[in-house]
This record gives sequence, C-alpha cells and structure tokens, in this order.
Amino acid sequence: MNAPVPVAIEDLRAALEAVVGQSHVSRRSLPPRKVPSQARNQITGDDAVRLRRGEPPAIGAAAWLVQPGSATEVAEIVALAGRAGAAVIPVGSGARAAGRDAPAGGRPRLYVDSRRMSHVLHLDETSLVVHVQAGLTALALERILVPRGLTLGDFPPSTLGSTIGGLLAVRTPGKSSARHGTVEDAVLGLSAVLADGRTIHTRVAPRRASGPDLARALLGSEGRLGFITAAVLRIHRRPEARFLAAFALPSLEDALAAVRLALREEAAPAALRVFEGADARAHLGESVCDEEQAVLLVATAGATDLAACDRDLVASAATAMGGAVLDDAVAEKWWRRRTGQERDPQAPPPALQVTAPAGREATVARAVAAAAERLGARARVHVSRFEADGAVEFFTFVEPDGEVAAGERSAAIRAAAEQAAEQAGAILLGSSPPGLEPYERQLERLLDPHGVFDPELTREPA
Amino acid sequence: MQRVALDPDRLRRELLPIVGERRLSMRASDLASYGRDMWPRLLIGIAAGRLPADLPHVVVWPETEREVAAVVRAARALGAPIVPYGGGSGVCGGTVPVLGGVTIDLKRMAEIRSVDRDSLLCDVEAGANGERFERELNRRGTTLGHFPSSIYCSTVGGWLACRAAGQMSTKYGKIEDRVAGLTAVTGRGDIIHTDGPARALRGPDWTQLLVGSEGTLAVITSARLRVSPIPELRILRGFEIESVAHGVEAIRRVMHRGLRPAVVRLYDEVDTFINHVPLFGRGRGGGAAGDDKGEERDPLERAPEPAAGGGALPEIPPKGDRGGASEGLFGRALSLLSPGAEPARRLAGRLRSGAINAVLSRPRLVNGLAGPLAEKVSRRGCRLIIGVEGARIRTEVEARLVMGELERAGATDLGEEPGRHWLEHRYDVSYKMSPVFRSGLFVDTMEVAATWERLMDLYRAVRQAISEHAVVMAHFSHAYPEGCSIYFTFFAPVVGAEKTYDAIWQAGMAAASRVGGTISHHHGVGLLKGPAMLGEHREAMAILRALKASFDPDGIMNPGKLGLPAALARRA
Repeated sequence: MNAPVPVAIEDLRAALEAVVGQSHVSRRSLPPRKVPSQARNQITGDDAVRLRRGEPPAIGAAAWLVQPGSATEVAEIVALAGRAGAAVIPVGSGARAAGRDAPAGGRPRLYVDSRRMSHVLHLDETSLVVHVQAGLTALALERILVPRGLTLGDFPPSTLGSTIGGLLAVRTPGKSSARHGTVEDAVLGLSAVLADGRTIHTRVAPRRASGPDLARALLGSEGRLGFITAAVLRIHRRPEARFLAAFALPSLEDALAAVRLALREEAAPAALRVFEGADARAHLGESVCDEEQAVLLVATAGATDLAACDRDLVASAATAMGGAVLDDAVAEKWWRRRTGQERDPQAPPPALQVTAPAGREATVARAVAAAAERLGARARVHVSRFEADGAVEFFTFVEPDGEVAAGERSAAIRAAAEQAAEQAGAILLGSSPPGLEPYERQLERLLDPHGVFDPELTREPA
Repeated sequence: MQRVALDPDRLRRELLPIVGERRLSMRASDLASYGRDMWPRLLIGIAAGRLPADLPHVVVWPETEREVAAVVRAARALGAPIVPYGGGSGVCGGTVPVLGGVTIDLKRMAEIRSVDRDSLLCDVEAGANGERFERELNRRGTTLGHFPSSIYCSTVGGWLACRAAGQMSTKYGKIEDRVAGLTAVTGRGDIIHTDGPARALRGPDWTQLLVGSEGTLAVITSARLRVSPIPELRILRGFEIESVAHGVEAIRRVMHRGLRPAVVRLYDEVDTFINHVPLFGRGRGGGAAGDDKGEERDPLERAPEPAAGGGALPEIPPKGDRGGASEGLFGRALSLLSPGAEPARRLAGRLRSGAINAVLSRPRLVNGLAGPLAEKVSRRGCRLIIGVEGARIRTEVEARLVMGELERAGATDLGEEPGRHWLEHRYDVSYKMSPVFRSGLFVDTMEVAATWERLMDLYRAVRQAISEHAVVMAHFSHAYPEGCSIYFTFFAPVVGAEKTYDAIWQAGMAAASRVGGTISHHHGVGLLKGPAMLGEHREAMAILRALKASFDPDGIMNPGKLGLPAALARRA
C-alpha cells in the first residue's frame, strides 16, 4: 500500500471541492444558524452570550467551511486533512464555541459543518429505534417522530437546538430527561470517522458482553477521537397520559428529601424540578411561596395507571415532608416552558451549572450561596435530574438591586461559586477525573497521531 | 500455547516482599487449579483425562489495591503476563493463562466497605463473593438485583470484567447499568478511579470502557455500585402462549408500554417440552413431583433451597437427605444416570445413556422430532414466566398492567405456581452439569441478543446453525425496550466433541453476526469468542487496540483474550 500523498495548501480547496462540490466549500464565516426559540433561553453561560450576539466563530487565514452531504464525504475530507496537515473541526448547531481564532501561520483548518447530513436513515418502529445522521437536530427529529406517536424523550428545550452529533460529543447533564437520561444514554450504535479516514460502526444491540462498550470512547470526547457521523438511538412511544403537580415545601432540604422519598418508592417521573424560594418566585410568581421555602414540580407520563401512581407517590412524599399542594396553573406554567411552548421571561439563563453528588445537594447549594454573598450578590438555585449519582444544580446570581449579575461581575461571582461548589464536593462541567488524563492523551496519540482532530496541537506529536 | 520463559526464582524473589510467603504459591496443585475456569471445552478435555495445559507460573492472593499495583509493576518489569481471577466460574476460558505468568486471585479482597441506604450506593472490593455480598446487602435492607446463575461462585470483579447479567436484569439492568464507578490497576501499574464521586462530565466513559474488558486493560479492585431497596412485593406467574413468535410479540408489547418486569422468560417449544411439560398429567411445580422414592442425591448435586423467610436467594442445601425433585423427561433421565443409584439402576442407567447417546448423535433427527412432537404431545406451545417486584404500591399497579398486556396478547394465565417453582429451582441447572458429563455428553450454552426487528431471524439462524451438530433448545430472557436476548442450550456426545464443539461455535457466531445480532449478551468473550470479535466490531477494533496500547503498553494484561494477540508487546 502506497504512503498517502501529501497535499499542498494551494491545492487544498480544489481537493475539497472535488469531494463535496464547489458550492459546499467557502471561505465565508459560518452563516448564523437559526436557534429555535424554545432553545434560546436555555443555553447557559458564554455560549449563550455569543449566540445571542449572532457571532459565528472567527475564520482565520487558512480556513474553509465545508459542508459534506454524507458520511463517505466526511471520511474523504478527514483523509484529505491528514495528507494536507490540516485540522478538522466538527460543527453542529454552532452553539458551542467550535472555532477560536486560528493562530497566525497555524495549520489550515477545515470547519466541517454537518447540516447537510440531517436525514433519518431508518426508523424501526418494531424495536423503537431510529438511525439518524449526526447533523439532524433534536428538534427536527422530534418533528419527524411526533406525528407517528413517537418521541426521543422528555428532553428540555436546551437539547432541541443541538444536533445529535453535538449532543453525543459533548456531555451536558442538564440536557437530559429524568426518565431517559441524556441522549448519550440512548445510543445503541454509532458511526464515526477516525483520524486516518477509516469509518467505524459499533454494533447495534440492546446490550452486549463482547468487550468494552467501544462507542463510549467517542461519546463525550468532543470530537477529539473521531467525527461522529450517525447514531442509532432508542426512542419511545408518546405516553398515554401525562400528569402535572406542584407543591410548596418548608425548605430546600425538605423538598430534596421529598424527591428522595418518592424515588425510593420507585416513582419514575418524566421530569422533576426543585426551585429554592427566591428562584421559584422569580420564575413562577411571587405568590407561589416565601423566600425560605421551596417549590417541587413534577410531571409524570406513561401508561395511565402508572403515571397516576407516580404522581401520587410524589404527592405523598411532598405531604410527608410538610408540603402544600399548589394551584394547577403553577405546574402548567412550568411545563409549558419546559416543553418550549412558552418562553420564560426570566432571561438570561443560569450562569452556572454543577453536578452535586447524592446527599450533598443542599450543602453545595448553600456553599455557592455563601460564596455569592461574600461578593455582595445573591444566588438563586433550582435542581433537576436526580439520580443515585447526584443532581444537577443551576445557579443564577443576582445583585442587591434585583438585577441579574452580568459581564465581569458575573464572571467573578461565578469563579468564586465554582471554587466553593468544588470544595463542597460538586463536579463542574468540563471536568474529568485527573488520574485518567494520561490515558486519554495516549488514546488521542494512538488514534490521531497527526492531530487531525486537535486544532491547537495541545499535545506533543506522536 | 507457548508459555513465556520466566525464571521462577526471580519471580518468587520479586513477589514475595509484596504478598508474603502464605499468599504466594508455585505448588503444582495450585497451578493446575488456576489453569481453567468452567469453559465446557476445557471440561471436555478434562473428562477425557487431559489436564489443563496452560498453567500460570505463580498464583498470588493480594489483600490491598496497593499490593495489586505492586504485583502488576513487578510483573511488568519481568515481562510476566497478569491474569486476574475471581470465582473462576466463567464459561469462555477468560482466566486461562495462555502464556503462563502471574494469576492474581482477588478473593482476599472481599470487603464490603460501605452501604449507604440514603444515596443507595455501595462500595465493595472486587473479590467479594456474589452470594455473600447479596446477603450482606439484604441484611442492610438493600439488594443489588443481580442474580446470575453463578452467584454462589462468582465475584463482583468477575461480573464487571465480563459485563454480566442476572435473571432479573429487565428491571435491575445488567451489571454495567448498576456501576457508578470503579477503582482498577492498569497494565502500567497505576491505580485509577473512574467516575467518582459522580459521573465525569467530559471525555470517554472510562467506567464503561473497563467494564467488559475481561482483564485485558486493568485489574478491577473495587467498585461503587447502585443498590435498590429490597422489594416489598414480588409477584411471579406462569403463562402459556401459542408459539415463540407470539411470546416474543407479547413481551415486546409489555416493554413498549413502559413496563419493567423483573423476570421475563419465554421457553421455546423444545425447552418447554423437555423441562416444563408435565408427564402423566402431573404439572411441573404443581406439588411434589418426585418419583424417586426416597432416593438420596449427592449433596453436591442439590441446588440451594429457598430460605424459610422468603427472599430471592435460596440457602445452600442443609445436610441430610432430601428427595430430589425431578423436572420433566430430561430431569428424570439424568437422575437415573446419577452415580448415587444402586448397581441395577446404574446398569439400566448406562443402557439408557447409551440409547440417549445414540439418539443424540443424530441431532437433526431429535431437533426435528422434538418440535412437532412437542406440539403433538403437549399441544401447549410455549411456557412464559413473568415476575414483577419492587416498592409495594407501584408494583401492584405495574403487575396488573403487565398481566393485562400479556392476556391481551393471547397468553393464558397458569397461576402463581410455575413462577414460584422457577424462583425456587432456578439454580438447579448448574448442578446438572456433572451428571451430564458423566453420562457421556457435554452441554454448553450460547447467549446472543438483537433488536426486536431481527430477533426471530436471530433465533432461526443460530438454532439452525447449532442443530446441525447438537440437540438444541432455547429460551428468551433479559428483555429490553429495544430487543431481547436468546439463550441456547445444546447437548452432544463427548466422543469427538472438540471438533463438534468448535464447529458449533464457529457456525453459531457467524450466524449471529450475519443477521445483525451480537455474539454475546452476558457470558463474555474470553478465548472462546476471540475469533468472532473481528466480525462483531470490524473497524471499531481499532479503538480496542488503541485502548489496549494505552492501558497496557507491554501487553501483559490477560494476553490472548477479547480477540487480542496472545503475545507480549515487548520483552522486558
């Protein structure tokens, strides 16, 4: 087998055009991708700021935007990049900071946008499984499934604007549903292009014991080990029945205890949220509870008797912890926003998201509140996604005058809050276990020796 | 295979300071014990008088993860392979030391460090025995919900290394669904912790990459597992349904409605006939079915009985005699073959076994007969066992919905007794293996899985492939919303068995891969399915090889397993 022929930069554009066609290679900045209104308010932090300003990533001197129409074209582009010494950067919905300014004289960059690879390849209603290309957004997928009485799951609106590829490459616990986990948990099989241009497919099966679950190497790896081109996902029937309920509880701790109690009775709600008092009043209205109290909201869904049973289990638990039932309108308002039918006027979205281990939810929340207070601000919090591992907490920082903290002030409070949260045992977004760093680096070196998926060449070459 | 050349004196000198004299052995009897697991292919050889050929150079019993790390580092320096060993109950040859080396027996690391009833998380060392672990959890009001038929003789580490499943996995999940994080010693000798205290928020899912790695990447030393509260209510029932296809459809409908029974077992026509159809009007499990008047069975051949207070895990049988309960035609045949029988019976048994052998050497005939014969004799199709358990209120609701769904799908309710009988006797099968071998047959199982769309194709294709060479029966269990697992049991004479054995596996695995099923649902790969790994993973093997090179640069970790090379990466 001949050694791959290197490609000079001058010839790179022509080579790309030969793969995807002239109209799908450009030097223009990324056209701003339309973020569905349901999703807009739910994207947090820096990504949200950039997105709202309509800012696409900057494209440097030697960079092209390429839009392949198939996984085969992606493979050819990656192989081409390897031969040209270029870097490949996958671009999904564009919400994530996909591009940073290319350093002067740096390697050429190929921003590979998946938006043309947005088809449903196979819908298997017998197995409740769907095979999709990675450029399909969750919203577009739902629009195909819902008329057939199917759904990806009760995912929050923040999930909808992302592409399937993006949801799989970037692990965001907040983008998950109580019953169905994250979209990553729904993966039964994966197709991806490796740095050498080879395409891999992991076998589709409900469960296996044929070695490690190899797809898990790519999920959450942010495109550094492979370019995800398609996935096979578990889907669900639309539920027979849905029930909503809301309760006011004496304190945050009581509300969290009520959740644990209900989960112990094996209640399986479709969605569950606990608002601490101030956050509840901000989102649901001042009349919903006092500041020291908390609000527990639950949506259950499924076979009618079972969904009703789950609702009753949560109600009993809430009552046992001293809760009072709130008017139906409260739960309904929450649900309309949760499903993106209505926008939450409480923009901007939370500044900080952390995962608190089981049993430490209240401690973490209090630690963050204390840190904010030391800087003269107030932390509001709501908690969702309860699991054995813990729960996801969303914090909003508010100045004494009632305005949400912004700009540098927000950054400063957030930094202090992150530190306090970590000390209290929480896990921050984007963190990984320290001891495994060398193994991840080595895996990257082995699978991508020339740094095709490593634009900044953050590691030493092989 | 050719053992790696290791100087035993040097090996001893390096390892002795780590584990001490009493926890290191090079005795021939110890080495021979660790040369095998419960892989039937090895047992065929042993039954023919051939002892295992692949022995370790030394066996060690570390007591802490630091000792394990020190052993791995020492082995790495010496160029000695490492083979982790739990209960040795695997059926794929996963613990066979194909190049010799150091067998690390984890069973002295068996501590249950903590059980937190509020967060429902426990922390347990890898060498903990399954039965003892489950009982300790029960004492603290919890259960792992993990009941493999090997629970009495397997370890937590073994479960994790092989991606094991228990009989109630439809509710509780497989072991990989219950693990919250691991501690392991990699092939580089590092101690690593994955996903602690909560799931890592970026990067490869290291827990799911180590679970199922069968010792080729690291030695798992402890794990954090999710436990459940002990179920307050358990409901078990038997159903009869017209055919396998109807049964599969019924289960699929239950799962798609969002219901999660703990136990789902659909026996195909042959399995139903051999094990479940009553003879002479006597129902299986409908009262004492023993026909061996006071015949005493060897205590080692009696399966555990349920404890007086109920509970999911039967106690080890007490001393003293107990009339063996036989099940169906096959069970009776086997009990007559038992060496405990009197000489006249033994002779009759041998004659019968000869006859059985003669029949079984024409498997196609038997398989062909059994199906229609089963239908003619029983006219009852397939047996379906269903169990629902959990918190009281929700379980009552869920059970009603499950049973209703099954009846709407055409299943006939047979009542509680078949379900209860299954619960009480489900470990019996493991105790049948010895009499089968003594009667001149071998038995093995093949467990595959696929999505619902491909499931009947999988059943037919694998059944066809096996039935060329052996009598085969199957049951469907471990159901999921998107599909199900199929468990094939097959018998053939031991004479000429190794060739038959290899042919069956080659054909069965190829059939499974061809129709889009997976080659293993929960037994793992070991040595047995190594050749099928390339067909299973194809180009994705590049990821496994990269993981191997990253975690085990010298290639010392359980060489020759998972379809990876049986050779060290470099000499020390």
